[in-house]
Amino acid sequence: MSPFFRLLAKRLGTSLIVLIGVSLLIFAIARVIPGDPARIALGPNATAEAVLALREKLHLDASFLTQYGYFLADLARGDLGISLYTNRPVMTDIAQFLPATLELVLVSGLMMVAIGLPLGILSARRRGTWVDHTIRLVTMLGVSAPAFVWAVVLMLAFSYFLKIFPIAGRLSDSITVPSMTGFMLIDTLLAGNLRAFADAVWHLILPAFALALSGIGQAARLVRSNMVETYERPYIEMAEAYGFPEKRIARRYAFRPSLIPSLTIIGLDFAAMLGSAFLVEAVYAWPGLSRYGVAVILRKDLNAIVGTVLIISAMFLIVNIIVDILVSIINPRIRLSQRAS
Amino acid sequence: MTSVLKTIAAALLAATAFCAHANAETVLRLDESPVGELDPAKASDYADSILMFNLYDTLVIPKQGQPGYDPFLAASFESADGKTYTFKLRTDVKFQSGHPLTADDVVFSFDRMMKLGQGLSYLFENVEKAAAIDASTVKFTLKTVYAPFISALTRLPIVDKALVLQNLAEGEGDMKDWGQAYLSTHTAGTGAYTVVSHNPQEETVMAKNADYFLKVPAVAPDTVRLRYGLEAATVRTLIAQGEHEISSQWLPPEVLKSLAADGAQLLTEKGTTEFYIKLNTTKPPFDDLECRLAVTYAFDYESGVKMVAVSDQVSQGSPATGALPVGMLGALGGEPLKRDVEKAKEHLAKCKYKPEDMKVELTWIGEVPLEERFALLMQANFAEIGIQAEVRKLPWALFSEQVSKPENTPNISQVFVNTMSGDPDTLLYSMYHSSAAGTWMSPEYLKDAEVDALLEKGRTTLDEAERAKVYEAANKRLIALAPSIFAQDQTAVFAASNKVSVPALSDPAKAFALAGFGFNFRLMEMKQ
Repeated sequence: MSPFFRLLAKRLGTSLIVLIGVSLLIFAIARVIPGDPARIALGPNATAEAVLALREKLHLDASFLTQYGYFLADLARGDLGISLYTNRPVMTDIAQFLPATLELVLVSGLMMVAIGLPLGILSARRRGTWVDHTIRLVTMLGVSAPAFVWAVVLMLAFSYFLKIFPIAGRLSDSITVPSMTGFMLIDTLLAGNLRAFADAVWHLILPAFALALSGIGQAARLVRSNMVETYERPYIEMAEAYGFPEKRIARRYAFRPSLIPSLTIIGLDFAAMLGSAFLVEAVYAWPGLSRYGVAVILRKDLNAIVGTVLIISAMFLIVNIIVDILVSIINPRIRLSQRAS
Repeated sequence: MTSVLKTIAAALLAATAFCAHANAETVLRLDESPVGELDPAKASDYADSILMFNLYDTLVIPKQGQPGYDPFLAASFESADGKTYTFKLRTDVKFQSGHPLTADDVVFSFDRMMKLGQGLSYLFENVEKAAAIDASTVKFTLKTVYAPFISALTRLPIVDKALVLQNLAEGEGDMKDWGQAYLSTHTAGTGAYTVVSHNPQEETVMAKNADYFLKVPAVAPDTVRLRYGLEAATVRTLIAQGEHEISSQWLPPEVLKSLAADGAQLLTEKGTTEFYIKLNTTKPPFDDLECRLAVTYAFDYESGVKMVAVSDQVSQGSPATGALPVGMLGALGGEPLKRDVEKAKEHLAKCKYKPEDMKVELTWIGEVPLEERFALLMQANFAEIGIQAEVRKLPWALFSEQVSKPENTPNISQVFVNTMSGDPDTLLYSMYHSSAAGTWMSPEYLKDAEVDALLEKGRTTLDEAERAKVYEAANKRLIALAPSIFAQDQTAVFAASNKVSVPALSDPAKAFALAGFGFNFRLMEMKQ
């Protein structure tokens, strides 16, 4: 087996073990949250008989392991049960809400890379100058304030005062587009409706930027510090002594080695956005999975809690696998170490 | 050059015509906190009620601007003995599916609600059965005389039986799932509005029912978008930008105040909800009546009302006179409850517990941040008479679990209770009858034979004037027993843009004594 596939198989194997562990953990934690899920689902005025019937239907009186067994059996059939919050299959809810969050997080991730990395590089190349100081100050602001603060500040500035961007939602009320993939940018293009596409982009910019700001700051600072460290290395000095152009030194000899640790952190940041998107989704009325996740936790919707956490964990693991693969491509030593092992 | 100018002018004219056409469609956008439940048999909270009152109709509805009920889907109704009620149905009503309304639909709607046992089905526990006499006559037989029955019918939406039977999903018995899956995403009513789309986390879009039996006025909104779970900051910005018409009642007073300052109108709904500070009568120190009376006199009612004031004229609370909101049957007239520190000290001196030995647990529901302010107000008020209270935040789920046992129930808890049908029975019986103890509505665990007897009499007295006297007596007895601090009558305040007029929420002569009924979209007027 080639080193690449060996690395992939290893990562997939460990991811599966992690997923099983997460499912057990979240299954247990969801049952520790105070309150009877059947009573919460049916409302404070439901009859005792209705509550008992629902408890029985959900196997809530069975032992923990029996309940987990039922869960695994259903999961094997692709059934995560019915959400007591929306009264629909959890899979339907996830299929409806996940694309909205993924779209938001993907665009935020793109912003993080497209803005954060160049800022970091520029800051490292102009280290010690006013450009460096300004970038460090701005990125510090991005890192120090949580995404929901930025969400409100950006909304006030660009929606309320300047009236440049819309306030809430994924599309203007006057536009309707048939949902095919759930990704508004793709659906509008598939529908051939460029006006709707532009409207979807217009709605996406502010929430995605609010969510990305912390990551942009993090990525810029990380790239800068790694590059500044690399600039101290003797081979950079040697490259300078050879008279290589400054741009080439930065791109080829300073940036590439600095990218490896940065990429790992950026990958983690990117995956973490899936969970932390909640507050941005709440402020911009974005109907995504993170918002759904918090709502189902508050209502002790057991099936939906487990389903949402599993999906977010799976996404986290997928992003990590992608990062591992990218790192192994950039750094052949990691790839080759698989062959040695 | 001239032809270019002509072309531009023509394009502008066409655009103007297009815009004029677009403007002809009126859209009402409003929001509510939780997810809206479309299934009318499960409707219980405010968002559900708004949906229910617009998508479905009921046999009777509350009278506008006065107490009592008018027939609605029923043409008339009668009862000779208070145990059986016969309703003649209107013959001109059709469901949105086109099926005509029949007595079978009424019986099915009742049976379905009772079988599911959710939402407000408890209002019909005293009903033995519903039976169709003929296609347009239906008879309800009660187990005993139950005076609030007619008011309860405002919560029995009539469902299209044929349509539901065509859409049964997996389940046990002949009725399978009773159409639960179908009705969680579709409507099967006669209502003035129909569902266009429903995303439980985003919004429900509704449009006028062109075939509505009463005809929906042209000025009523063509499309309604009921949005869910919007943040206060988002609603504030949306209304200010003209992208949202009516806020929910859950906005903090400061946000309402700033919207009003920007020119938004404030809509109000009164007389259906009261704010109760509940004292656990089974645990020290509030198992002693004198201690309970001490804290009821120590509480600063006036500051409580000022704390939730939105403007000089509008507040989210008004002074309470007793256990029932002012305006409701059995509510007491006269002076509102007032703070009297001297009396509080007198009662405290008679209490068998010494203030220095008391450790009062004062809780507030985590999901209702406003209650924290009342908790802090009480803490300061009680400290003035020497009672030390520890403020604790309690999530709703934990609170509703704790109150099932008196020993786990906090000394003090705070609850807003709303009458589900406009009848005092739905407030007082569920809170103070000894058989009802141990729910979120009754963490007082009050056991008093006189209160029980009065509340039972209230249920069986059919004469309205006589009933009013019974509830007034119960009200006075409750003030004397002080199981709760009757903190204030709640006023639901909604900020609204001036693009919409809602007479039922702005003119007392057109108001309805039923929470959420003022949100009948067909009674609203959109301004172009």
